[in-house]
Amino acid sequence: MTTALQPFGFDTESFEAFLAQRAEPEWLQAMRRQAWDAYCKLGWPTRDHEEWIRTDIRTFRVENFRPPLQPPLESAAPAGLLTHGVELGGSCVSINSHSTANVLDPQLAAKGVLFGALPELLVENANRLRPFLERQIVVPGYDKFAALTAAFWIGGQLLYVPRGVRVELPLHSLVTLTADGVDLQKTLVILEEGAEATMLSETASLSQDTDRGSAAGTPPAETRGLHVGITEILQGAGSRLRYVNLQNWGTGVWHFAHQKARLERDAGLQWTLAALGGKTAKVNQQVELAGKRSECQVNGVMFTEGRQHFSYHTLQHHQAPETRSDFLYKSALQDKSRTVWRGMIKVDPIAQKTDGYQRNDNLLLSDTSRADSIPGLEIEADDVRCTHGSTSGNVEEELIFYACSRGLTRREAVRLIVTGFFQQVLDRITIPSVRDALVSAIAQRVREYR
Amino acid sequence: MSEFKVVARLSEIPNPGRKLIEADGRLVVLCRKDSEVYCLDDVCTHDGGPLGSGELQGYDLICPRHGARFDIRTGCARTMPATEPTRTHAVRVEGDQILVQWADDDS
Repeated sequence: MTTALQPFGFDTESFEAFLAQRAEPEWLQAMRRQAWDAYCKLGWPTRDHEEWIRTDIRTFRVENFRPPLQPPLESAAPAGLLTHGVELGGSCVSINSHSTANVLDPQLAAKGVLFGALPELLVENANRLRPFLERQIVVPGYDKFAALTAAFWIGGQLLYVPRGVRVELPLHSLVTLTADGVDLQKTLVILEEGAEATMLSETASLSQDTDRGSAAGTPPAETRGLHVGITEILQGAGSRLRYVNLQNWGTGVWHFAHQKARLERDAGLQWTLAALGGKTAKVNQQVELAGKRSECQVNGVMFTEGRQHFSYHTLQHHQAPETRSDFLYKSALQDKSRTVWRGMIKVDPIAQKTDGYQRNDNLLLSDTSRADSIPGLEIEADDVRCTHGSTSGNVEEELIFYACSRGLTRREAVRLIVTGFFQQVLDRITIPSVRDALVSAIAQRVREYR
Repeated sequence: MSEFKVVARLSEIPNPGRKLIEADGRLVVLCRKDSEVYCLDDVCTHDGGPLGSGELQGYDLICPRHGARFDIRTGCARTMPATEPTRTHAVRVEGDQILVQWADDDS
């Protein structure tokens, strides 16, 4: 009924204590203080805001969580889902915002590639990283969550690939939470001109009964937690990035994320987002096509169940001529879960010859699930091709009947249909281990439904 | 079925009137009419938005956005635009204490 306030919450006292314990350059602490001022001035989003009108966070209390100032006692992380049978060029693991393991192929390190925990790499490379950190393409004052992250980020990953360097093997990052843990992180992916890389990033909750977490592919336990994060991708001219982001928290985790990429001339980005876990997820995903002929493809895969609520707000912002964007989000919803997808293609007056596409398909597996799909266009140039589409529907009984008549059980039939529904987006994912992990995670979640 | 648990005091709720409370991570509306107390999910089944700031008229709780009416005794939708009932929870009043038993968690 009442919530007791815990000491050392997200208040100015703990913020100052946090700043004092960080060995950080002056300019970074100044940026943090500025963001903290914004955090203190901003209110928590309410349903009066268009972005939050369908997402209820009234039961979210930041005071139920503590800033994870100390490293956790646990050190064993669950196995990742994305790396089965994959040879990696590097990997890093964090628990409750604190880095526990970092590995990078020495040959890549010799070429100047930086990969691992951002706070540690920042100490050694402060001057080189300063301009990228100062960019702040996710504006700290955007909302209270962005401000909190910008001020108080404790952990996070960095991938920096110097000019012209091609990283052939994927780099993997696993971010985990313990029960009541907080992941407060800033992730930076920087590809200089002509660089190439593949980064696989995933999250997971350590289950409450064992520190080993759930076995690969099984739905994680309902472990309470909080993730507030910013991901910034900065791509130089002609660079190529494949970025995979799998959100697989336990079903008690609040997930608030701002993810933004900025592409310079001729840069290419293939971004795969998969969301399976969490209690409530609110994600802003944006791509700025800032340079001529830059292009991005976004593949979104969502599967919700129980009372999960996922709210995704995407923006494909064409700021230069001849840019291309192609967003495809597919969701399957089970039980009483709900998704909100609000997509916008924005074309600036200068961005002639833009080719923009967005699509959102929803498959409702139960009568009590709900999908809100709101595609939008805002076009200020007059020579463009921008199209969008959205579908929502149930599994047709006739399809199930046909599959059953061929000897499948009802459950097998539904699994087959759900997998088929996702096939279009899975076919676009060029990394086999990612495709396999998503197919098996989704197939395990599909229940028999009537 | 869960146990009855204390969620509020009777004296906190205007008579007649309603109050939005949070308990066990849920938001519910307690509605009072003399000695009778009812408990509904803070959800208008029309648009999924909150009901808690709605006006109470007789046994009807009126959604503040589009005017859908819900019978506080049963949760039934009494007027458009809502067509589905909102969930109700069993209530017991003991002295000044209001006890609520949550309807099935997964329903």
